[in-house]
Amino acid sequence: MPGFVIDAQGIEKSFGTLKAVDGVSLQVKAGECFGILGPNGAGKTTTIKMLHGAVQSDAGALRVLGRDVATQSRLIRAQMGVVSQEDTLDRDLTVYENLWVYAGFFSISKKASLSRIEYLLDFMQLREKWDSQIKTLSGGMKRRLHIARALIHEPKFLILDEPTTGLDPQARHLVWQRLRELKSQGLTILLTTHYMEEAAQMCDRIGIMDGGKFLLEGPPQTLVQEKVGDEVYELRGGVSEELLDSLQGLPVTAEVVADILYLYSHNGLGVMEHLISYGQKDFLRRPATLEDLFLRLTGRELRD
Amino acid sequence: MLFPQAPSHRAFRVWVRHLVYYRSFYLAEWAGNLGEHILWLVAFGYGLGRLVPSLDGISYAQFIGPGLMVSVAMWNATYESTYGAYSRMRIQNIYESMLMAPLTVGDIVLGDLLWCASRALIGSTLMLVVLSLFGLVGSLWAVAILPILFIEAVMFAALGLIATSLAHSFSFFNFYFSAIVMPMFFFAGTLFPIKGLPLWVERLSEALPLTHAVRISRGLFIYGYVENFIWHLSFLLGFTFLFLTVACVLVSRRMVE
Ligand SMILES: Nc1ncnc2c1ncn2[C@@H]1O[C@H](COP(=O)(O)OP(=O)(O)O)[C@@H](O)[C@H]1O
Ligand SMILES: [Mg+2]
Repeated sequence: MPGFVIDAQGIEKSFGTLKAVDGVSLQVKAGECFGILGPNGAGKTTTIKMLHGAVQSDAGALRVLGRDVATQSRLIRAQMGVVSQEDTLDRDLTVYENLWVYAGFFSISKKASLSRIEYLLDFMQLREKWDSQIKTLSGGMKRRLHIARALIHEPKFLILDEPTTGLDPQARHLVWQRLRELKSQGLTILLTTHYMEEAAQMCDRIGIMDGGKFLLEGPPQTLVQEKVGDEVYELRGGVSEELLDSLQGLPVTAEVVADILYLYSHNGLGVMEHLISYGQKDFLRRPATLEDLFLRLTGRELRD
Repeated sequence: MLFPQAPSHRAFRVWVRHLVYYRSFYLAEWAGNLGEHILWLVAFGYGLGRLVPSLDGISYAQFIGPGLMVSVAMWNATYESTYGAYSRMRIQNIYESMLMAPLTVGDIVLGDLLWCASRALIGSTLMLVVLSLFGLVGSLWAVAILPILFIEAVMFAALGLIATSLAHSFSFFNFYFSAIVMPMFFFAGTLFPIKGLPLWVERLSEALPLTHAVRISRGLFIYGYVENFIWHLSFLLGFTFLFLTVACVLVSRRMVE
């Protein structure tokens, strides 16, 4: 394996005057799982489409699986699986036909694909849907079939754009569990998601994207530790000026959002006592999460 | 690579995808085709034909027979490459899913055109069956029309795909049909001879690709012989290649941003 699975240097893409991707650099090693987090419109899908050649970059250099995307996209795709954000299953075909026809696009014969299809349908718990029409599948089944289709040629590298968005909790958990299994088998994975906890659990590294750029990139736990702290105190209902002023000397960062005060602390010792001594007994104390980091970096206003 | 989106033998896999879908409804389509073909032949060949004197010693029904085969190929290829391809490209995201696999835009375009032409050829073959049942086939060479119609159908499918890559909704095809396909149908000598019409009509007709398919087919169908065969065939092949290239470029622009 020569170097990196993804090696992007300052890639850019504009749609008219809008810079959707604005100088992204990213390197992902074989066997690694990288998660891109970002609000809607951040440029995640555009970045992913650049990796498989559906969007061409305006500037920068992009190599995937050791090859240049601008000239060798077809050969790259032969070793890569893609689960797009939009549903691209073939609604004119059954589940089984979807898979063997797609295998054909990788020059795998129908006969040779049969055992792989059996394995994948079992793996994705779709075996009994073998002969079903696509329109009879639930959203979760469609996603799973999508993932099965992307794995049909035993790729070295899997890309998933919001694989769990819009799924019910059961379906979501099944997808995450399967992705973890694939990762443990050594597959290199790049995914985008809005589910912070799952991303934090599964990804070796995450990148937080906004306005077409990575704001931050690294292992999730380290990033949360460094940029947010260990603990968060949430105080709901009005907070007195007096209390706010008194926090000055403590190792906390305060943020007021509507009627909630967030205190991000690096070393919770003393904070709780301080709050109680100010007569504040009604608060929530919890570990800092990726979501805290995400919201602090990308702001709290709505995006779409 | 000089042309990263160029077509290759993998176009066959795209063709297979369309065939798999076709398996689910072909019998109904064949029945419909046969009924329609018989209706056209009876209404025009024998209904209207009663008013038409014999043309160069052949009956009107026999005159329009090859014209109908050629136009069936054109209409079928056109429908499949406009309404059908638009749905695959813009609504069902089928092209998009193929581009996530190791296929090029050229593979997808060529596979689609070969499919459109295959379906058109089936329609024309059914027309040939109807014509022979009515005893209108003058020469066994009529069978040799089929490969010519396949080329013609690829050409019209490519033209239809050009329209599809420019279309922003289905309603664009109304314009395409009335501005391009209908005039072609009427002024290519399918239903009436062009000779004797005003000179500019003759000239226009000579420039229409469909005219050349009609000339070849009528010659083979009635006499088993075609005057200026090489010229007509080159005309068809030239336009086929031109439209195919333009279609590849335009579909690339649509699919790769
Ligand atoms: N084909 C396109 N034409 C014009 N604008 C686009 C196109 N695709 C994406 N955009 C814009 O680029 C920005 C980034 O979009 P996208 O990559 O889809 O973001 P994300 O996946 O993070 O939600 C958005 O503002 C979006 O509207
Ligand atoms: Mg997106």
